[in-house]
This record gives sequence, structure tokens and C-alpha cells, in this order.
Amino acid sequence: MQRAIIGGILIAILTSWMGTLVVLRRSSFYGDAIAHASLTGVALGLLLGLNPVLVAGLYAVLISLILPYLQKHSNLPTDSLLGFVLPFSMGLGVIILSIIPGYQPELISFLFGSVLAIGWADIAVMVAFSLLAWTIIKRLGKKLISASFDADYAKISGISVDRINVIFNILLAITIVIGVKLIGIILVNALLVIPASTSRLFATSLKQMFTLTPIIALFITIGGLIASYVLNIPSGPTMAVVSGLIFLGGLVVKKFS
Amino acid sequence: MSAALEIKNLTVRYPEFAHAAVESISFFVNEGTITALIGPNGSGKTTLIKAILGLLPYVGDVEVYGKPVNKIYQQIGYVPQRFVFDQTFPITSYEFIDLAIPKDEDKNKAKIEKALKRIDALELAHKKLSKLSGGQLQKILLARALVNKPKLLLLDEPETGVDVAGEQTFYDLLEKLVKKDKVTAIISSHELDVVYTYASQVVCMNRKILCVGKPQDVLDKDTFIELYGRDLKFYGHKHL
Repeated sequence: MQRAIIGGILIAILTSWMGTLVVLRRSSFYGDAIAHASLTGVALGLLLGLNPVLVAGLYAVLISLILPYLQKHSNLPTDSLLGFVLPFSMGLGVIILSIIPGYQPELISFLFGSVLAIGWADIAVMVAFSLLAWTIIKRLGKKLISASFDADYAKISGISVDRINVIFNILLAITIVIGVKLIGIILVNALLVIPASTSRLFATSLKQMFTLTPIIALFITIGGLIASYVLNIPSGPTMAVVSGLIFLGGLVVKKFS
Repeated sequence: MSAALEIKNLTVRYPEFAHAAVESISFFVNEGTITALIGPNGSGKTTLIKAILGLLPYVGDVEVYGKPVNKIYQQIGYVPQRFVFDQTFPITSYEFIDLAIPKDEDKNKAKIEKALKRIDALELAHKKLSKLSGGQLQKILLARALVNKPKLLLLDEPETGVDVAGEQTFYDLLEKLVKKDKVTAIISSHELDVVYTYASQVVCMNRKILCVGKPQDVLDKDTFIELYGRDLKFYGHKHL
């Protein structure tokens, strides 16, 4: 439980920073597609006997790098391309898994997350990546917001919009794969999107949104972990349900406030 | 007097249209002057401004203070004609202006407050952008354009949504910037009084350039008929 709580806090903070930017940039579907696409990486890792999280991370980064290229050459909007990436990678992942003989207990933990799967090595990776992500967001956060809010003025302000989008997408891909360990491929987008969407209901400034989102994410993660421990139910789905209830509560409060 | 902006044979084509949006545009703008772009709706004024800014692909040459525009972005301020944005985005006027300053520095606060004070809009600093009226939003867009102390201002119908008093304040400020700080301004406008009162040069265009020169020298009834068509009615404007 100790490792789960520490891991949960780290993932909550990390996903809340990235999630705030995801929600502001209206790229929630991107997170969902990358999370589902990472199944191929997990399957490849299991097939080749390599660390599935590492392979999933590499696959997710690869997708992040390929997407802008596909967009440039197809002239299609991002969501159309994500609509191709998600089913293609999910299908490929399932086919690879079907080749691997025997039952794959790790697969269920990747699909729905498992706090018990978090070891000290994972926590070390989370700490290192969180520090890296914090440094990059601190440096590029304003540019990322500028590029998504007013791309024309971002360009005039000297921001290389394409380059900054690629950096963000790589960071996001790694964040998602790290989050998958705790909450799973199917549910990681909940942790990425729901705290930021809830804080967006109430925030009147960017500062408020960046302050409120980590608080909500921490509440969801720790509350979800405690609830799953006490009720003896799976942690990932519990966190997803808790986050959904908090969002619905936020809507109700907003409606009557 | 040196050229702040020099345009040679600029042509912009949108792939979906057979004819060019603007064609073979050439003129130059002296430093520390106001140039007005006039022409009917759809004449290519916004396209020209966006091409100057490098926001649209074009054929031809554009030089700002002798350099390609992307080498001098930090010295350009821009007010778009219509600023459409995500109304649910939680951002204050202060934060919005801050996005235009590339570096995070201690002096940013003073820079933003100075820009807001200049246009008499300091009280709007912490108001949510989506809660501003049309006129207030134009003020904030102008504050953003001014925050980096630009040498060149490109203003696309900046008076949109601003009341008469606000318009007067705006153009007085612009005149002060031009005279005192040697700022160069290019304004697209439908307001003939503004053109005659403040602009030292007017560029009349309807996809192509129809006239360039001092407003008093080049704007006459024939030019207006050429610009706006024979159905144009003249209501005793003092300059015509």
C-alpha cells in the first residue's frame, strides 16, 4: 500500500500537469488513442520477453512522431488519424497476444491497472520522469498554451508551433504509459482528462486551473486507492469511478452555484 | 527616412479559388508613418496583412526593416480583424497578454501593466477574456500588440466593436506612438475620416493595387467608384 500511495501521488501530479494541457488543447482523444495503442507495445514486450512498459513507451513515442508526418502528408485532421491509430494498434496488440502461448496475467493488469504491480523501480522511473516533465513544462508550458489558444500569434511570438507540439506529444505518450501501470490502458485517460475537466468548470484563470487540477487528481487517486483497499475492489476501475463521480458532483455544484 | 516595410510582387492564392486573393502587390512603407489599406470587403486586405506576417504562403518578396519577417517577429504587433477563441478557456486578460511575451521574466508584470495602462484598460487585467465586451476585447488585443514595444504594428480593422470615444482614444494613442516612438503602423480600415486624419499614405486595393499615395492626392470619386463600384453613393463627405 505504501508503494501504491507514493506511486499514486506521483502519477496524480504528473497526469494533472499534462491533463491540464491536454484539456486546454482539446486533445483528450489523443490521450485515449495513445493509451489504447500502447497495447501493441505491451504485447510486443511480452512476446519478446522484454519489459512491456518500456516497449509500450517506445511504441507510444513512435506513434507520436509518426502522427504529425501522416497529418502533413494526408491533409486529414488529427482525430481522423487517431481513429485509424487506435483500432489498428489495438487489433495488432490483440493478434500478437493471441500468438503468445498460455494465460497472460500481466495483460489484465495492463488493461485495468494494478497497484500491486508498482515496485520501487517503477517509483524511481516516475520520480525521474516527473522531474523531467516538470522542467519541460516549466520551460514550454506558456508556449504550449499559446500555440493551442492562438496559433497565429504564437507564430508571431517566435514559437515553432510544430516542434512544440511534437515535444508535448512525446511527453504525453510517456506520461500515459507510466499511468497505465497504475490505472490501466482502458482507464488512464480518466486520470488525464477528468481532474482537468472538473477544475475547468470552476477556474477563471489559467493559474487557478493549474492549481486546482493537481488537488483534484490527488483526491481521486488517494481516495480511489483507499476505497479499493477497504472495499477489496480493483484500484484502476475504482479511481475511474471516483473521478467520474467527482466530475458529476462538479457539474451539479456548477449548476446550482 | 528608411523603409519599414517593402513588398514586391506579392501574390497569394488559395487552393480552392481559381483567381488570386491578392495579385502583384508592391508598395513600401516609411518608418514612423501610418499607412491605411482600404478596399471593399473581400478585396484581400486581411490576406495581405496575414501574408506580410508570414501566416499565409505567398509568392513575392516581403522585407520588414530589411529582413525577412520571421527574423523580426519580436518587433511586430498585430491586431486581427476577428479574434475567435474558445470561450470556455479559463484565461484572464493579463494571462492572455503574457502569452505574447516569449520569456518568463520578473519584468513581465511591469510590461503588461504598462501596456494596459497605455490603453486605459488596467481594470480589465484580471477579468476573464470570455467575459469582455467587444470593445474591451479590442483594447486587450491592442495591449497584446503593444506589450513587446513593437516597431511595426499591423492592425486589421482595429475599430471593430469599439465605441466612438474608444476609437478616438485608440487613434490618438496610435498617433502618439508613431510620432514619439517612431512606430510604423499599417491599418486596414473602412473609416474614411481615420484615413484622412491619421494616415500619411493610403493603399487602395481590390485584389490588385488601384492607388498608392497621400490620401488627399489619390482619393477622389473616380478611385472610389473603381474600388466600390458605380452603385456607390456619396453622402457629402467633407473630403470628397
